[in-house]
Amino acid sequence: MLLLELRAFGAAAVREWRQLRRYPTFGLGLLFWPIVLPAMYVLQARGYSGGDQRAIDAFAERSGTNEIAGFLFIGWSMYMWLSIVLWGPGTLLRTEQVRGSLEALFLTPASRIGILFGPAVAHLVPALWMYVVVGIALRFGFGLVVEPAAVLRAAVVILLAVPALYGMGALFATLVLRVGEVVGPIQVVRGVFTVLCGITFPIVILPDLARSAALALPPTYIIADLRAVLLTGADLVDLVPDLAILLGAGVVLCALAAVAFRRAEAYARRGGRLAQY
Amino acid sequence: MAGRTGAWALEARAIVAITRKDLRILTRYPLEVFNQIGQPIYQFVIPSLLLGATFAVGGRAVGLEETAGTGDVAGFLILGMLVAYLVGAAFWGIGYSFKREMDQATLEPAWLTPVARETLVLGRGLSALVLSAIGIVLMLAIAVALFGVRLSPAIVLAVPAFLLAALAVLGVAFLISSAVLLIKEPVFWVDASDALFAAASGVMFPITVLPGFLKLVSFALPTTYAIDLLRVTGLGARPLLDPVLQYAALAMLAAILLPLGRAVFAWADRRLREQGTVGQH
Amino acid sequence: MDARALTKVFERGRRTWIQRLRREPDHRERFVAVDGIELRVEQGEIFGMLGPNGAGKTTTMRILATLLLPTSGAARVLGIDVREQPREVRRRFGAVLSGERSLYWKLTARENLEYFAALYHLPPRRTRERIESVLDAVKLTDRADDYVERYSMGMRQRLVLARALLPDPPLLLLDEPTVGLDPQAARDMRERVLELRSEGKTVLLTTHYMEEADQLCDRVAIIDHGRIVALDTPTALKRTIQAEEVVRLEIAAEADGVVSRLSENAQVARQERADGLLHLTMHTVSARDFVPRAFDAARAAGATIKHVEVVPVTLEDVFLALTGRALRE
Repeated sequence: MLLLELRAFGAAAVREWRQLRRYPTFGLGLLFWPIVLPAMYVLQARGYSGGDQRAIDAFAERSGTNEIAGFLFIGWSMYMWLSIVLWGPGTLLRTEQVRGSLEALFLTPASRIGILFGPAVAHLVPALWMYVVVGIALRFGFGLVVEPAAVLRAAVVILLAVPALYGMGALFATLVLRVGEVVGPIQVVRGVFTVLCGITFPIVILPDLARSAALALPPTYIIADLRAVLLTGADLVDLVPDLAILLGAGVVLCALAAVAFRRAEAYARRGGRLAQY
Repeated sequence: MAGRTGAWALEARAIVAITRKDLRILTRYPLEVFNQIGQPIYQFVIPSLLLGATFAVGGRAVGLEETAGTGDVAGFLILGMLVAYLVGAAFWGIGYSFKREMDQATLEPAWLTPVARETLVLGRGLSALVLSAIGIVLMLAIAVALFGVRLSPAIVLAVPAFLLAALAVLGVAFLISSAVLLIKEPVFWVDASDALFAAASGVMFPITVLPGFLKLVSFALPTTYAIDLLRVTGLGARPLLDPVLQYAALAMLAAILLPLGRAVFAWADRRLREQGTVGQH
Repeated sequence: MDARALTKVFERGRRTWIQRLRREPDHRERFVAVDGIELRVEQGEIFGMLGPNGAGKTTTMRILATLLLPTSGAARVLGIDVREQPREVRRRFGAVLSGERSLYWKLTARENLEYFAALYHLPPRRTRERIESVLDAVKLTDRADDYVERYSMGMRQRLVLARALLPDPPLLLLDEPTVGLDPQAARDMRERVLELRSEGKTVLLTTHYMEEADQLCDRVAIIDHGRIVALDTPTALKRTIQAEEVVRLEIAAEADGVVSRLSENAQVARQERADGLLHLTMHTVSARDFVPRAFDAARAAGATIKHVEVVPVTLEDVFLALTGRALRE
């Protein structure tokens, strides 16, 4: 039984990956944006700092590092990971709905968890690739040297962040089924995270209320922890409380997504509405 | 047959009809309206402002004072944004909209009407401009009310520069539209070139921080001069070049880009007729 | 409207800039979609182009509609050259080319028509009246203010026809106007097309339904592989095959010897083996005479006739006689 479930899960992942690859400029985007987007903000930081040591010191004091490029690349890599999750698993159910194949999915005996999370696995590949591109750009474009041990620690942070982020994606996927629109909600959600989670700035400079809101969002922790291990040499032990929060959030979000999905299905059964759009 | 003025009036009416149609459809996606206007604010202005705040010394942007000659981060960004709206209108509002129409199969019936092809571009331009205008007004209001930006009245001297830039950008819009009509998967290209165009124009940073060869690209873009003249007149920023020279460059670029864009668009229309791909999607 | 030696050749694949610069020979595969089509459509008639999918009907239509440039040859619509003066041509026809999807689904029917009215250069004072008139003509007046997304497929197709009628054009180009419609909606659409002729309009339509061509068209051009293989009125076309009736037989037979015996009594238009049976289509002057003989012939050849069907001659049979293939293939 479990084996069958795993196979359904794997099939969903493989199918998703095949579809991903068919999108022609997909690879180009994954090479272009991870470099260009943060690089623009590095240039902006250059405009803000000038040659003025006082400005550079002010940045270092607030952010805890003077690696400006590293700071910004890590922040934007989180933004891009979030985009990959929202555009990928986040739009998945809606795409099935528009194509009219959502009902067919509901008719299969495979568990709903497989439908909801299987394709997400395929989207881990572009996310990992994006991190590799960011790493190479930082190393060779901006001369940031990071010890292998720190890279390993960053990998652990990323791994522990997966449930939280993909839980958010799955929850989003279920909610947009009811909204009936994808692009708008993605922009809004991404906007909220951009404004709050410290992609281009340390969250200490936010007003109190906004900072509290930021601390309720998992990406805030992912960004802060990646910066800590990669730029300021923090050990994983120092980050245990953060990582525990991340994992906890992951469990809660995945559970919420599963519940929301069940409710969407029940709603569909009652009204027969889910097949329409 | 209608006279020459009559023909103009009919084309003008078609432009208005296109705009009305676009705006009508938009109102049926309220979230989309919110995003089109608000996205530059929450996706770009706020993160940029907060990055600026990270570099502030005692509330002063000492670094920006050095690189741009003004310490007003919000004013600096928002005047850049005014022009970024124009660029966005050209790339997305006009150029990419052709792809949308192709996907919806609504481009072909428009192509079958006697309306001039250029009218289809101008109509989209007008609707994009209406949306941009709302964004611009909103952004200026936020700048003044929330960030205490004080623009000098001398900024009216830069209005002709803005209009010249709009004409030049319209030429660019013709070029992008041609590309969108001929390329199969234009999303990435439109997205990437829009971002690069805006960045190289100095929307988010003074172009003096760019490496040498990229600076040359900046000087080839009409928007660079429009942004600089807005900042020079509105905020008292240090000009990149003598403003008179900048005006001359702008006028020259508009005089080149607009006819060039129209010529390329006419060529693209002919290519489409050879390939018969206007209805394909 | 007339077309002379109209030809369209498509090239498959790409020729790179480097190949162009080096002036390398062009190795792209060429596909002749339209191969020297000659036709003349008279004012006030319904002219049909009948042929299987991919025969070149739609390509011809798109050339006439100014969407496509011919590789060679010329076409004129109401005396105006489609290549030289496309905008003048577009002022003179309405077209249903891209199917029922080609509307703004988030607009109402009326809003869709308002938009296209401006694109068709309708003067403002006539716009409202024209919109009411075309909505009435396609019987959508009572649903005119509903979003198109709530329409059935047949209603959307009618709205597409209404759009084509907006400028009150003397000529209508209809590409497969009933494809995908349910039988009732298709019947409605055909009735509308007949009404158009009674209003004095010229209609050029393409179809791969032979009943449609038979029922609607004053004259039909049968097109195959980009060429016109026959052109006449449906009645005259049907007369070209020397038969009054068509007999379809299903025969259980081991050898093919039965075919030669049967062909002594009627013309074999088509034979095919499927499901272990031999399917024959026979053209005959009289089925009444032929069928008993067919049974005798089968028995003599050691075969058994399993099924007999007698039908009148249709354009399908004309196509079969001309090309050796069925329309549906």
